[in-house]
Amino acid sequence: MTLVAPAPGARPSPPAPAPARRALRALSPYGYIAPFFTLFAAFGLFPLLYTAYISFYKVELQTPGDKLWRGWSNYTAVFDDPFFWTALRNTFTLGALSTIPQLMLALGLAHLLNYKLRGRTLFRTVMLLPYATSVAAATLVFAQLFGHDFGLVNYALSLVGIGPVDWQTGTWTSQTAVSCIVIWRWTGYNALIFLAGMQSIPADLYEAAEMDGASRWRQFFHVTLPGLRPTIVFAVIMSTIGATQLFGEPLLFEGSASGGISHQYQTLGLYMYEQGWSFFHLGRAAAIAWVMFLLILLLVGLNALLTRRRPAKETAR
Amino acid sequence: MHIARAARSNLVRLGAVTLASVLLAACGSGSTGTGQSNGEVTLSIDLFGTFGFKEAGLYKEYEKLHPNITIKQTDTEQEQNYWKSLQTRLAGGGGLADIQGVEIGRITSVAQLQSDKFEDLDAYGAAKLKKNFTASKWGAATAKNGAVVGLGTDNGPEAMCYRTDLLKKAGLPTDRDELAKRWATWQGYIDLGRQYKKNAPGKSAWIDSVRSIYTNVAGQSKERYYDPSGKLIWETSPTVRQAWDLSVEAAHAGLSGSLDQWSPSWNQAFAAGSFATLPCPAWMLGYIKGQAGKSGAGKWDVAKLPGRAGNWGGSYLSIPRMSPHKKEAYELIKWLTAPEQQTKLFQKVGNFPSSIPAIEKVADTKDPYFSNAPIGRLFGTAAEQAPVQILGVNDQDVQEQIAKALFEVERKGTSSSAAWGNARKGVQNAIG
Amino acid sequence: MTTTLTDTRRAPANGAPAVNRPTTRRRKRAGRTMHAGRLTYAFLVLATLTSMFPLYYTLVAASRSNADIARVPPVLWPGPNLLHNFQQALQQADIGRALLNSLIVSSSITVGTVLCSTLAGFAFAKLRFRGRNALLAFTVGTMMIPPQLGVIPLFMVIAKLQWANQLQAVILPSLVSAFGVFFMRQYIAQSLPDELIEAARVDGASTSRIFWTIVIPVARPAMAVLGLLTFMTAWNDFFWPIIALSSQEPTVQVALRQLGGGYVQDQSVIMAGTLLGTLPVLVVFGLLGRQIVGGIMHGAVKG
Repeated sequence: MTLVAPAPGARPSPPAPAPARRALRALSPYGYIAPFFTLFAAFGLFPLLYTAYISFYKVELQTPGDKLWRGWSNYTAVFDDPFFWTALRNTFTLGALSTIPQLMLALGLAHLLNYKLRGRTLFRTVMLLPYATSVAAATLVFAQLFGHDFGLVNYALSLVGIGPVDWQTGTWTSQTAVSCIVIWRWTGYNALIFLAGMQSIPADLYEAAEMDGASRWRQFFHVTLPGLRPTIVFAVIMSTIGATQLFGEPLLFEGSASGGISHQYQTLGLYMYEQGWSFFHLGRAAAIAWVMFLLILLLVGLNALLTRRRPAKETAR
Repeated sequence: MHIARAARSNLVRLGAVTLASVLLAACGSGSTGTGQSNGEVTLSIDLFGTFGFKEAGLYKEYEKLHPNITIKQTDTEQEQNYWKSLQTRLAGGGGLADIQGVEIGRITSVAQLQSDKFEDLDAYGAAKLKKNFTASKWGAATAKNGAVVGLGTDNGPEAMCYRTDLLKKAGLPTDRDELAKRWATWQGYIDLGRQYKKNAPGKSAWIDSVRSIYTNVAGQSKERYYDPSGKLIWETSPTVRQAWDLSVEAAHAGLSGSLDQWSPSWNQAFAAGSFATLPCPAWMLGYIKGQAGKSGAGKWDVAKLPGRAGNWGGSYLSIPRMSPHKKEAYELIKWLTAPEQQTKLFQKVGNFPSSIPAIEKVADTKDPYFSNAPIGRLFGTAAEQAPVQILGVNDQDVQEQIAKALFEVERKGTSSSAAWGNARKGVQNAIG
Repeated sequence: MTTTLTDTRRAPANGAPAVNRPTTRRRKRAGRTMHAGRLTYAFLVLATLTSMFPLYYTLVAASRSNADIARVPPVLWPGPNLLHNFQQALQQADIGRALLNSLIVSSSITVGTVLCSTLAGFAFAKLRFRGRNALLAFTVGTMMIPPQLGVIPLFMVIAKLQWANQLQAVILPSLVSAFGVFFMRQYIAQSLPDELIEAARVDGASTSRIFWTIVIPVARPAMAVLGLLTFMTAWNDFFWPIIALSSQEPTVQVALRQLGGGYVQDQSVIMAGTLLGTLPVLVVFGLLGRQIVGGIMHGAVKG
């Protein structure tokens, strides 16, 4: 990933200490990483491996003591389940519907925020407010706004003669509504990330462009965008991971784990949750979890492949 | 970096807050839920939907009778969510209340799969109470080894609730006996709905959702999802088929408000008067009062349900093995489910008794909110005639999936056969 | 409060050169930046209003009655029922207890995460040991693991420990923050000159002494930013708490879910609960918004 910056280079070696102290010093670094890795082993790694283990068994939440060997059948059951493919497709469409507009809007906002502004701190802070609002709170409000009969959105649409739109049961409409929550929460955050990237672009590049007579638009496309590339890659990767893990918004939108009556906005995360915590099939849910993990690895791997093709200089931010 | 530096001073503040809260946590964990000093006991009771104990003032009464007891209730509207969290906590072995409510559609699952996780109430002398309850109510909560896993609260005999004002505006009769004759069958009910639709006031629908039709029709037969041997037969069950077809017909005729039951918009529709009729088990009366509010008083009435008598819902109270106050908890549920309290409950919030002496006592009850409808007699007759249903482990799961598929039909216009296919897939998925 | 913040903000930055550079650049660039036109302001105001509107609408709905919300045309300004609805929400979903629980959980997670991350970040940045790079790469790699993946066995672990529905079930697993370790490592690597550590070593200082007297003071700003971000994330965390906790011992987000799907007569009470659960974060945001903005932007440049 682009995040890994090279470790600091060679440095002068310290004066040779006494043997006992040397041994202690050789071990002490592990003491510093021990708290993190102990916790990680107990609450990160172990669950990960154990998930793999129970994904080969029939385990039910109601009777967690009884394990029944199932081999690969939890996995084949997943691939045979039409709802899995629905969830996979939804995860992609919801991901696209929420990520693309969000990043475009964020880019535009960052550009505007980069002007010399009065009250710029206020603008920045307010735009970050949605990020500080919890998924649960945001979704409850948006569910109200997108209500079929009494929602504000449908009322506003009715003023211009549209509607009423069914934001709950239509496939595209419900996905749009759910995406709106994601976009609302994350656009400001990404705008700030982009803004930070813009501000680190050397001013002389703009000066040079201006001397060449480049218009504002040309400056944006030929100086700002290329300079922002590492930041954009970063934001795209983070949003992709976020989109793959989308869960809270679709769960709370109508409060059901099936993601709408026809599973029309059920994401993979929700699909797993439904199997595990509505139907109590823990073994099968574990298989879904692993499928999800491999999928994310694949996506991030693709991302990394795409970024590696660019010069290393840009990546080493 | 100057910005972050400023936050340094705030780190100190944050530290202070944290220290304070960690100390609080330390104190808090010592006293979680229950205070023990001088025999004082806090009993926690975790329920779903409308049990009505709190609303009828029963907790206060019990606390007055037993000054050392404090009762704390938590409540989840949707039984599905409640069941999920109950099962998670049973598996996790923590966070259970002293008393947990169990829906009738789940009691078989508890009795057959989880009787080791709940107290056998026989050990506390529950056998003496057996004569108070109807045989079916008692039997459903008895495990194969004879353990009694719960005491019955209410039953759900069904009737039809309707808005007299809306029916009048649509030019239909409003008299409950006249209506009962017109909708003696479900077909008659749907035909009447067609008439209503022609002059429906203010875009209101005939019924809230076809789910209402489905659940009520399905509640009118002895056998629906399981056969007596415990085999899952819902796909070939004539009851399910009949209930399904009637629901689809009502949906296609455009009689339904297509509201998702138990959702906020369903709740809002009560106050807004968006539908004219609602098949209602007795416990729904309290819910209607709550949602429609004071302004709805006198506008509602209750009549006999189309078709045969049926039952929808009704519940049990059980005590998890983990409860630290099993004895006190037993005393409380014994009191709450006793005939006197069941009588009060019906008179105040409408939950119909499952206790025989209480059913006799409430026979003459009338409800002014529902235009003085003789609800005691109406529901009493229904309870008497309602079939003793065969229940199975996954009763509730099957019902949920079918209801969801029907919702697709009315809300999205999905064809009946496609929706049936979805229901099948859903049930397969749920049962695994 | 505000003045203090402004003053500190004006104080010159005295970090490592690496930290100073973007600042000077920005200053130079700021002089050259084009002034915003009217259209720019119009767009920004629009974006600001969009950001605020859902929160404003929460206030409107929370201060009204159920019937008001269901009215057409809808009401758009606050009504008189706010306190009444607050009271109802506090009664029905135990929001009071939820707020306290959330405070305990979020604070503990914040302190624990910052401490663990600083320790490990320091080791990764400045200490040499076998397997360092591999372990660091591994740590960063774990960021890709979906939180849903380990939930089932994690729940089984919690069940074994008899922790279900107790606050530590949420606190301990959340202390594992690969992001935090990486964030601190990046900061310490760039803002703490190696010479400073070598000099201390020559003076005979032990590693732990170096950590407490040199690393911590230098890393403090980054620790504060990480702390703020962790606190907000922990406060808003949702997926694991609804599994591990219940309405018996809820955090705010769990209680909100209970309100949303709970036996609540009216929508306005749900909105009142939502507002109550959001207020603490909004307060933190009002007081420290500038720092949070700065922290996120800083993290972005570093990342």
